[in-house]
Amino acid sequence: MKMASLLFASTLLAAGGALAQGGPTDAQIAHIVVTANQVDIDAGKLAESKASHKDVKAFGKQMVTDHTGVNKQAQDLVKKLNVKPEDNATSQSLKQGGDANLAKLKGLTGNAFDKAYVDNEVTYHQAVIDAMDKTLIPNAKNDELKGLLTKVRPAFVAHLEHAKQMQASLGK
Amino acid sequence: MSSGPRRWSAAIVALLACAGAHAADDAAAVPSARVKGVTHTIAIDGTAYVPALLTVKRGDTVSWINKDPFPHTVTARGGAFDSKTIAAGKSWRYVARHAGDFRYFCTLHPTMTGTLKVE
Repeated sequence: MKMASLLFASTLLAAGGALAQGGPTDAQIAHIVVTANQVDIDAGKLAESKASHKDVKAFGKQMVTDHTGVNKQAQDLVKKLNVKPEDNATSQSLKQGGDANLAKLKGLTGNAFDKAYVDNEVTYHQAVIDAMDKTLIPNAKNDELKGLLTKVRPAFVAHLEHAKQMQASLGK
Repeated sequence: MSSGPRRWSAAIVALLACAGAHAADDAAAVPSARVKGVTHTIAIDGTAYVPALLTVKRGDTVSWINKDPFPHTVTARGGAFDSKTIAAGKSWRYVARHAGDFRYFCTLHPTMTGTLKVE
């Protein structure tokens, strides 16, 4: 059940490590941020339509809203700074992990879907926060890009706590 | 807002009951700043209330401005007030009519908490 979640965490950390040698450039960081948000938007959209528990449905909807908001701000900044987001190994493994998670979720229904979606949200947000702390924020060279990452980090922590609360109540 | 007409009628009653000079003294006894109340601003920024603790006087207005790119709420734990969803870039105002310590949070981001003290 936790395969996709573990895949997420390991790919993020492994890719983060692979990039850590030189550290990702701002153009790569921008691409990672947009991809990381998009992966969670896609999972949220699926939960919005497929989840059976109303709290899980509402959470999925909120993930779509929040991460779309963050991505709009990231894209506005990228445009302002005239940076062209550059695809990289971390973005690619995030996308692959996201696709694997969606494929798994599509095969589930009812409580099994809710539980798998929420479990993955917990693991995914934790992995993204770790990547922000260890790789993205320390390597961001532009102050505004670093500022954006720092400013949105607490929202990811709030999502993680919210997902953990749901995980605990679904487990009962 | 409702104190306005009441205050006027009180002034008129005073005017009728006493001489004009006394009525003027009566009006002067009400601090003008308290008649309308002061407006305070709390920013919602970086998934936090800034400042997280604010002390106001009864009758003051508090305005929460959402500077984040996604919605938040300002929801009192005891149910005294609830903004419901405040969209990105929007604000919500609350007139603090009742004294007390009001702890509030964001229903969407439970890590966000604040306290409004009304004296």
